[in-house]
Amino acid sequence: MSALLRLLGIGLALLLAQAVARLALPVVVQPDLVLVYALALGLRGGVQGLVLAFGAGYVEDVLCGGPPGLFALLCGTACATTRLLDRALYLRAAAPWASYVGAYALANFALFGAAQRMFAPDTAIAWSELLRRAPGAAITSALCAAPLLHLFRRLLVDADRDGSWPVLATQSPRGRP
Amino acid sequence: MSELLRRFRFALCYLALAALCALGMASRHGPAELGFAPKLVLDLTLPLERMVTLPISELRGVWDDYAALVGVRVENERLRDRLARAEEENHQYREAILSSERFQKLSGFRAQREVPMVPANVIHQDLSPWFQSLIIDQGAAAGIRPGMPVITDSGVVGLIAGTTPGASKVLLVVDPQSRIDAYVERTRARGTVRGTSGHDCDFDYVLRQENIEEGDLLLTSGLGTTYPKGLVVGRVATVDRKKSGLFLGAKVVPAVDFSRLEEVFVILEQRQIPGEDAFSSADEGLWPAAPGAAGAAAAARAAAKPQVAAKAAAKPAPKPLPKLVKPAPAPLPDHPQDPPE
Repeated sequence: MSALLRLLGIGLALLLAQAVARLALPVVVQPDLVLVYALALGLRGGVQGLVLAFGAGYVEDVLCGGPPGLFALLCGTACATTRLLDRALYLRAAAPWASYVGAYALANFALFGAAQRMFAPDTAIAWSELLRRAPGAAITSALCAAPLLHLFRRLLVDADRDGSWPVLATQSPRGRP
Repeated sequence: MSELLRRFRFALCYLALAALCALGMASRHGPAELGFAPKLVLDLTLPLERMVTLPISELRGVWDDYAALVGVRVENERLRDRLARAEEENHQYREAILSSERFQKLSGFRAQREVPMVPANVIHQDLSPWFQSLIIDQGAAAGIRPGMPVITDSGVVGLIAGTTPGASKVLLVVDPQSRIDAYVERTRARGTVRGTSGHDCDFDYVLRQENIEEGDLLLTSGLGTTYPKGLVVGRVATVDRKKSGLFLGAKVVPAVDFSRLEEVFVILEQRQIPGEDAFSSADEGLWPAAPGAAGAAAAARAAAKPQVAAKAAAKPAPKPLPKLVKPAPAPLPDHPQDPPE
């Protein structure tokens, strides 16, 4: 329970940090902190992480003017993809994790465009605009990824010790006994 | 079976949640009241966010007011020059307004009432860089309903996309979901202003032969049910006359600086287009009778109806309706608001 509350707190803090970044940074270099949160939840695995990722996306949906469910779907997909790839790739050190987040942030732009065209085609943003913003946002998201993972570990290590939830970022599910 | 469910629990859960999201996106039909869950999320997160973003906004204000004043002398000279020209234009506009008022009085078209408006403060800006929306601190309790237009003294801000009792979500003009029917003030060329999620908008569906130039002012046309006529939308920034195609491409800079928006006004008036049944048939005249002054005419038409019906029955065959003759267009006078060259 303690881990769940801490994760909720981290999610809320990242949402607020994203609101601050939106005010303080130019649009082409704004990191997608909620996406990084969803990706990190994928490392934890489990249905609770998935629900939290969808929930974070849903809150972003409510706080922005997009079609309801778009960011929830993207965050949930990010979480599920990380869980899937965590079995094949080593994502639990700073450099691979940052690279993965950067690459996924780029892919997320493509998913965003595709989802818009599929579910809300009349409001879709032009591919050229997506391409213009993708590189900067992917780089800043990647730069934020490693410190955020470290923060996750620090905040959750106590809660994880009591076994209430699988340990984050110490070993992949493949390596567990 | 339960083993299978347990094994694929994650995948099943993902599919169920993704289907919910897809359903949410597919079932969206324009502005509407927010449901319980969005209201709860807004009520919980907005005060926190306001607490965090307020110092940043204040810091930005300090920066803009004191630190970022390099080159202000040159800008001051330029602005003085523009002010002189604007005063001259203003004088001409006043003359034009007086003429227009006289004309409207004569024609009987002048609106006799003030438009009711509610002032509101901006308390949240969109989290996502893709969509452009705001949240204001007035909601359904103040009489605000989805679809109402939001303006400032500079021009059009957007429209209400959703409301809670104490807050409303405003879809900005620059949001990709926004469409405004507008015309160029100088030449009356019409088109649609469409948001691009950036800082500017596209001016679509303007015929290639139309005369529009950089700096032209765009006003709302009043078509549709959202925006009243004559609100400033923005200025034409670039015009791209393509080699082929029916329409030209133009970029529009909105009149409102959304990044520094603090107070807005919501127009508490939802315009309505009468339905098909409101238009009378051919034997009742072309237009429905308005209450009040036109009531007598309607009564007279209603009284005359039996006579018309009797006459029609007496005649062996109805006469064909006379053809409508379109009068030749009168030559337009020079536009009174055109600035001097």
